[in-house]
Amino acid sequence: MKKKNLWWVCIVPLYLFTLLFVLGPMIYMVAVSFATNNGDGYGFHWIFTLDNYRKMLDPVYLQCFRQSFQLAISTTLLVVLIGYPYGYFMAKLSARGKKIMMFLIMVPFWTSSLIRLYGWIIILQVKGVLNTVLKALGLIEKPLKILYSYPAVLIGMVYALLPFMILAVYSSVEKMDWGLVEAARDLGASPRKAFLTVTLKLTLPGLLSGVILTFVPSMGLFFIADILGGNKIVLVGSLIQDQLTRGSNWPFAAALAVILTIMTSLMIFLYRKITHVKDLEGIF
Amino acid sequence: MKKKLLTIGLAALAAVSMSMCASADGGEMVLFTWEGMFPQEVLDNFTEQTGIKIIYSNFDTDETMLEKLAQAEGGDYDLVIADDYIIEQAVKEGLVSEINKDIVTNFGNINPLYQGQFYDPEDKYTVPYGAGIPLIVYDPELVDFEIKGYNDLWNPELEDSVALTANYRVINGITLLSMGKSMNEEDVSVIEEAGQKLQELAPNVRLIQDDNTQNALLNGEASAAFLYTSQVSAVMAENPDLQVVYPEEGLGFGIMGAFVPSQAPNADAANQFLNYILEPEVSKQCIEYIGYYNTNGAADDIVDPSLVVPDSVTKGEIIQNVSAEADEAYNKNWTEFKAACGQ
Repeated sequence: MKKKNLWWVCIVPLYLFTLLFVLGPMIYMVAVSFATNNGDGYGFHWIFTLDNYRKMLDPVYLQCFRQSFQLAISTTLLVVLIGYPYGYFMAKLSARGKKIMMFLIMVPFWTSSLIRLYGWIIILQVKGVLNTVLKALGLIEKPLKILYSYPAVLIGMVYALLPFMILAVYSSVEKMDWGLVEAARDLGASPRKAFLTVTLKLTLPGLLSGVILTFVPSMGLFFIADILGGNKIVLVGSLIQDQLTRGSNWPFAAALAVILTIMTSLMIFLYRKITHVKDLEGIF
Repeated sequence: MKKKLLTIGLAALAAVSMSMCASADGGEMVLFTWEGMFPQEVLDNFTEQTGIKIIYSNFDTDETMLEKLAQAEGGDYDLVIADDYIIEQAVKEGLVSEINKDIVTNFGNINPLYQGQFYDPEDKYTVPYGAGIPLIVYDPELVDFEIKGYNDLWNPELEDSVALTANYRVINGITLLSMGKSMNEEDVSVIEEAGQKLQELAPNVRLIQDDNTQNALLNGEASAAFLYTSQVSAVMAENPDLQVVYPEEGLGFGIMGAFVPSQAPNADAANQFLNYILEPEVSKQCIEYIGYYNTNGAADDIVDPSLVVPDSVTKGEIIQNVSAEADEAYNKNWTEFKAACGQ
């Protein structure tokens, strides 16, 4: 009896917290997305309208979604290409090697991600580190204009999200039973075939959770596009921020946020469908 | 020994506080503005001359100021310095009293370019304290032709080389000025036309940023930039070889104005202070301290010349609030422009 009481004491705050700070704002956001914007300055009226959603069909805003998707997909692809081998080989290191690698991956997190992005500006700018080095090596004559361009944004995104992929793949590979790979090899599978049929399949949940952990945030990491892209690439995230502040159109911002939430939820739904795993591997 | 030091310290403290009391016999004046708007010397000298003690109270944004002033029903504060558009609102809400020109005998010193503006068409309520004028700055070493106005920013030679500030109304505004229209255009079809023209600027845009935009000129990312006043001052201090352009199509500017609230507890002191800061010597100190354009015509000859608008400039326009439809069109132009830049 006493035990049961304690149980409730622990669980109620959690429920309250979730209701108040997660579900509550979500419901509010959905409600606001159907409200009518007050044309004159801030605020809105509680009059039902679908205009906010209709407005999204405007080519400019569709373009924002397209651009966000494009960037998210390219980022994810690059992160998979670099992150999977990285995590795979990291898991095969000695215990000491693993510790060192893990430490090296964690170290950058001690610095604010904004400051690290400004570091990239120093590297990429016209009179920056990269151009100086390339020039000294005689590889280029005129400095490259990389900063404030699409490639710069892509570099920043990959840099920011790579650790999540590495960790997800690493924990997946580490858990894997290598006996199964050996069995496949004993039964005559080539190394390539063993990798594709056994290793890849077994580490798929890790890889896909890495994909989710890369794709979902990359839809929202608009500050990277702002800082390294010189504010020229308008992502859905920056559009939402714009509408909340300068545009002072909260209902439209809410509608954009609702659609973005639905899209990311779809990604997580797909992940569950493919992997039959409930939690994102590697992080949780 | 320690005790002795303490006694001396206490005595010094007492002396200081007594001198402060002594100088406060002219009453108090509550000055309400942003932080860092006056050199301490200017405030101290006023207190010395008049015995009026100044209490410097500050706000972050114009909106906060209006809210506090409205709550105090035009009381509590004796002198407010804020931006043009918010003064218009304060006047509308009846929170502003007329300037006492019997006390402010220096009123005639004000440069007429900054008078008769929308927020105070009859010059009854305000004394301008400084003006901000966004201008074009370029690096003559990197640009092969002379930039004279906004239209030159569209020149294909500037491909991927222009840095812009990020205020949507200002950028829309200079596009309209380049077409010979008003920065406050209300006609949606004209605004859409400006939007088309703005999109043609996209290939030349290197970056759009509000903070430290001037750095793009210094670190070689951009060869021409459209900058706010403080940024122009900063970049010219860093590299005097750069060229400042007062665009031939006309200027857009913003004015910071001073006004006395309707229920100011010590309105006389506030008017005395206004008269004091309109003295050319005092103006010079203030304007050079804040780095904005000088609005006191009588001080033009003694102020740092880079803070005086040349005589050739006779036309200036201030960005004002527009109708909701027009604002929506400006917003859309801006989003389309940014999207075009990202292509």
